Amino acid sequence: MKALVLLAALVPVSAQWLQYPTPGIPRTPDGKPNLSAPAPKTADGKPDLSGIWNAPEDKYFRDLTTGGPPAPMLPWAEKLFKERKENLEKGHPSERCLGHGVTDYDTLGTLRRIVQTPQMIAFLYEGYNHYRQIFMDGRPLPETTQPSYMGYSIGRWEGDTLVVETNGLNDEGWLDMDGHPQTESTHITERFRRRDFGHMDLQLIIDDPKAYTKTWSANVPLVYAPDEELIEAICENEKDLPHMVGK
Amino acid sequence: MKALVLLAAYVPLSAQWIHYPTPGIPRTADGKPNLSAPAPKTADGKPDLSGVWSVNGVKYFMNLTADGVEAPLLPNAAALYKQRLAQLQKGHPSERCVGHGVTDFATLPAPRRFIQTPQMIAVLYESYNHYRQIFLDGRSLPKLTQPAYMGYSVGHWEGDTLVVDTTGFDDRGWLDMNGHPQTETTHVTERYRRPDFGHMDLQLIIEDPNAYSKPWGVNLVLNYFADEDMIENLCENERDYSHLVVKGKEESK
Repeated sequence: MKALVLLAALVPVSAQWLQYPTPGIPRTPDGKPNLSAPAPKTADGKPDLSGIWNAPEDKYFRDLTTGGPPAPMLPWAEKLFKERKENLEKGHPSERCLGHGVTDYDTLGTLRRIVQTPQMIAFLYEGYNHYRQIFMDGRPLPETTQPSYMGYSIGRWEGDTLVVETNGLNDEGWLDMDGHPQTESTHITERFRRRDFGHMDLQLIIDDPKAYTKTWSANVPLVYAPDEELIEAICENEKDLPHMVGK
Repeated sequence: MKALVLLAAYVPLSAQWIHYPTPGIPRTADGKPNLSAPAPKTADGKPDLSGVWSVNGVKYFMNLTADGVEAPLLPNAAALYKQRLAQLQKGHPSERCVGHGVTDFATLPAPRRFIQTPQMIAVLYESYNHYRQIFLDGRSLPKLTQPAYMGYSVGHWEGDTLVVDTTGFDDRGWLDMNGHPQTETTHVTERYRRPDFGHMDLQLIIEDPNAYSKPWGVNLVLNYFADEDMIENLCENERDYSHLVVKGKEESK
């Protein structure tokens, strides 16, 4: 028997995205979105990452190490990972409507909107109707006082790449559905580069001396989702929980 | 015995906002935020509503008619309202972590951030870590296909006032904690005007021919929340639910 785990990807059967032609995007002569047009820039000359994006392959959501070597886990982390995986992911925070963290929202196969201003970039996730803030105003990462699922994120531009640093994560979050551990000392670096209008490369780098012997990373492709809107997908208490089965 | 209802205002006792001086805001000579400085403008000359805002007190969050003007409830809506009030607000969607809608997020004291671009305004609520989108790109309100707690919102500028129209509501949402009904035909209009740096006037207007005999509403003030950042405040399933009581008896769930 298999656990029903894709809670976040669950959308009511009757639901469909609102079809609305995204205004102002490049189109080919036949009116279709031109996903290979150049990436847009903001008024201040930075790459403009605004718009609705998706991670089309849920394999990284399930396991961040897909296609690469195993994560360099310390023994305790490896033991916890094995337990979670053998227990068919039962115990994931999404069971309790707590949603996801940085890495699993990044890799989730539902839509997210990036809203970009010079001072801040916000990610609006369709899953759980949750959001995330990335401060672009030059502040440093704060000392962690209240660990959280989403952590605290600051961003800066390195040429055309948005580099986001996150700390302040709690140890209750999981990096992926298979259960790679996250701890209060996890530091995540995300490098976003919009190659063209329709494609964005995301490199995720995990650094945590308390759980992993060295830094490790995953490369996740994101694609632009034109002519779509986010729908409301609120997690309602424990409706899914009774369907979860353990080992 | 009173029901524990302020689920949305609930913040763990150990929690505190993250103090960080808000960059770029007007300050007085002693370094304090100058809340009576002029309201800022965006590059394209519109009022800039960006920043973190909060509301003083819970009176409108609890009851949109707190100032004494009764909502013009139609008989069915009046009966439902009376029932909810008698049940000490048990049954509110926040019990199930579903959160709030437009009017009760608007009146909630917990901070919310406005992020403004020419195409859209996103409102990020500390409570529930939920957000809302307001489209400013000139689109019209869509035909209702999927009712939602937050509805579907479009905004436009009337001089210095941002006018936001919202339809597409789910009839399971409540307009306030006391339980003024919301239905799939509810139309909420919000009129935001920022008279100075530190204050924003908000007029909320509720229209719904299936629940109210005429439009009604409330005026409130949002205050700029300087030098603090929102914290993560997720709703964890039914941890609060077990504390709710109905009138006159303990509810064992």
